[in-house]
Amino acid sequence: MKLTFRRPDGSHGVHDTDPGTSVMEAAVAHGEDGIVAECGGSLMCATCHVYVDPAFSDLLAPPAEDEAEMLTCTAAERRPTSRLSCQLVLTDDLDGLVVEIPEEQV
Amino acid sequence: MAVLAPPSSDIDLWEDASLADPYPLYQQLRDLGPVVHLSAQDAFAIPRYDPLREALADWHSFTSARGVMMNDHVNSAFTGIVLHTDPPEHDVMRKVLAAPLRPDQLRLITPRVRAEADAVVDRLVHRGRFDAATDLAQHLPLTIVSTLVGLGDFGKERMLEWAAATFDAQGPVDRARTRAAFPKLDEMVAYATQEVTAEKVDPAGWVAALYAAADRGALRPGQPEAMVMDYTGPALDTTIFATSSAIWLFAQHPDQWDLVREDPRLIPHAINEVVRLESPIQRFSRVATRDVEVGGHLVPEGARVLMLFASGNRDERHYPDPERFDVRRRPSDHLAFGHGVHACVGMNLARLEIRLLLEALAAKVERFELLGVERAVNSTLRGIAHLDVAVS
Ligand code: HEM
Ligand code: FES
Repeated sequence: MKLTFRRPDGSHGVHDTDPGTSVMEAAVAHGEDGIVAECGGSLMCATCHVYVDPAFSDLLAPPAEDEAEMLTCTAAERRPTSRLSCQLVLTDDLDGLVVEIPEEQV
Repeated sequence: MAVLAPPSSDIDLWEDASLADPYPLYQQLRDLGPVVHLSAQDAFAIPRYDPLREALADWHSFTSARGVMMNDHVNSAFTGIVLHTDPPEHDVMRKVLAAPLRPDQLRLITPRVRAEADAVVDRLVHRGRFDAATDLAQHLPLTIVSTLVGLGDFGKERMLEWAAATFDAQGPVDRARTRAAFPKLDEMVAYATQEVTAEKVDPAGWVAALYAAADRGALRPGQPEAMVMDYTGPALDTTIFATSSAIWLFAQHPDQWDLVREDPRLIPHAINEVVRLESPIQRFSRVATRDVEVGGHLVPEGARVLMLFASGNRDERHYPDPERFDVRRRPSDHLAFGHGVHACVGMNLARLEIRLLLEALAAKVERFELLGVERAVNSTLRGIAHLDVAVS
């Protein structure tokens, strides 16, 4: 399945990924260094912040309580489309997902 | 599939020679199996990455409430710290302790910590030759305990001695090294639980916030007294050793230092790589609450089980070429900060301190020259006591 990262410089990273991995893991595996993900997905760092393309918002379950709490800690501005990519696990219906990487993570 | 008895080994992780160089022993334990019985301590050890990560996530089967250290004296001395609890009580305490350590809160103090980091680095670089284990690595953690935690200078000069003793006291009780640390451990506990009082601490500090939490009913009376140790005990030597290990590694791998200097955005990943390779806390333990299967082997109810963070972090089944120091590896799934409900609540602070020091150094230092290394030998920690370096 396909996953696209819109980078802060305007360029795009389009990657082939497998369902079951998180968007954060896919970013790390494909060298998207705008996703820092210091804590490796333990919901401690908020350095895996992304803005989800609104076209996909309805396909995602809303953030759980602990993700919502950590979303208040992002370095870049928090928007309604903000998510922590370590909590977004890819499923078949998310094929083609587009997420934007914010300017700042740390 | 039948559940097997784990392989047994007479490797003794607490001999001085083992403490000085544990890695070949971890390798032998990993080769033996997913869980190994250690005859010297009649305990079990989990040396491989996957089963270790799984066990750390399973607090129901592996309790921390009976202590995570290797003898009764130290486990009972530390009754009431968050490290020695299970959910749901754990989660309540942790929420209070975590409040000032969240990334958004740490961002507020970053300018102050950066100014401190820049000043130390300026001073030492100007001097040209210094002890990275003391002059460089101790300054920020000690300053933070006295200012942000809010203990002032009161107790500060003994804090380092106490911190080392606290971890030394965690070995098996039949070791002279362990018992020799008991008096200092007891002194530290008496200081934290009796001498530190609401009146003596900085009212804006983190300890004062524990008392305030008790006043509003978020903690029970009496809890803040023990929880002071959650801010002091694990915050010093851990961060200090991670910092000196970083300099030691960069001194030996100038190519890796060049990468970081060219792209300082690698620093957060380099910090993960340093603690993966040289995990400051080598191990803690749990007690099995039931007969539990680890990788097809039986660990009996009531057994003490060692979580070998430092061994999992070098498991060749998980990390290709695990002994290589590679700042581009991005091993953020390492276990040096633990995993699961007890994952280090101070990791963001530790990362901040180390990052700011490395950023300041990256701007000023081209090369570290190693002039002398003296390892710190400790029952629980791995690190360096003295690291004589010259910078250019
Ligand atoms: C590089 C530095 C550090 C390392 C390697 C480290 C390592 C660890 C590890 C491995 C654990 C897990 C314990 C377990 O699973 O039983 C832990 C927990 C903990 N750490 Fe750290 N730590 C560091 C810095 C800090 C700092 C700076 C603080 C305090 C501000 C701190 C406070 C704690 C506390 C309170 C816990 C217990 C959390 C809980 O039980 O929920 N640590 N640390
Ligand atoms: S990787 Fe740290 S919160 Fe997502």
